Amino acid sequence: MSVGLAVILVASAALFAVGAFALVARRSAVLMLLGTQFMFTAGGVAFVAFARFGLGATHATAGAAVTMFAGATAVAELAVGLSIAALIYREHRSFSVDTDRG
Amino acid sequence: MPVLLIGALPQPITEAPLVILIYGVLVLMLASALASVLLRNTLYAIGAFAATMVLVALLYLALAPFLLFAVQLLVFTTVSAALLLSLLRQTSGLASTQDRFSREWIVGAAVAAALLALLVVVVASTSWPLGPTTNAGAGFGATLTNTYVVGLAVLAVILASSALGSGLLLAAPTLPSTRGGGTTRPASPRGGRSARRR
Repeated sequence: MSVGLAVILVASAALFAVGAFALVARRSAVLMLLGTQFMFTAGGVAFVAFARFGLGATHATAGAAVTMFAGATAVAELAVGLSIAALIYREHRSFSVDTDRG
Repeated sequence: MPVLLIGALPQPITEAPLVILIYGVLVLMLASALASVLLRNTLYAIGAFAATMVLVALLYLALAPFLLFAVQLLVFTTVSAALLLSLLRQTSGLASTQDRFSREWIVGAAVAAALLALLVVVVASTSWPLGPTTNAGAGFGATLTNTYVVGLAVLAVILASSALGSGLLLAAPTLPSTRGGGTTRPASPRGGRSARRR
């Protein structure tokens, strides 16, 4: 038994699919934001896997650096998204993003 | 011109304890991510989300430079969980109003399954290029401050502006809506003034 590039990439794809599910299926703004966080994280995991098992020395630290940038961007997106969710809550007393549809 | 190979080509991880650790972390990570998406209580969902982020940090510990593990654990996980919990402190929207297994769930599951199938087919059918490996952790800090110094600066600006913007959004009064909503402060969960005038 071993761990290679394919295992990590499949796990990353599964995490991305979980995030996509949350984004499509849930109506709560908070849970949709969690879905986008999972999708960002899945991208970061894929970058780390490529840096570890793929083009190693050529881009030895690039994968980790891009992962750090993606994580920080995700946190920034979460901060703004949660502020918008708070405004939605103040207006509708609910985190549901489709309140107007009834 | 051929590229000189310095170092060894990357090999799969075969040490039994590390392999078991990585498989365990991957399974737990996916399970907690699914729990985070499926749980109806938002507080529990945030707990599962934080657990997922910690498990991703453990995965980075096994595969990536230590600095990335530390940043993922101490900065990204902590800040994300703190932001989510602070939002819940301002509000009381813990319970989901969505029905279980509604039509959106079927559509979401179909989209997620299609995406997963596409990605797995791409991963399985592609021959990824390999390059010689070196100690990735040695020059990570130098890479960040030399090669990616512009990216680091841009990132600092993005983080600062998002912090400023989210603070202003939270502090700004909302406009009164046609339905009568709009207030400068969120209502207290213990019976404060309601945001919606009836």
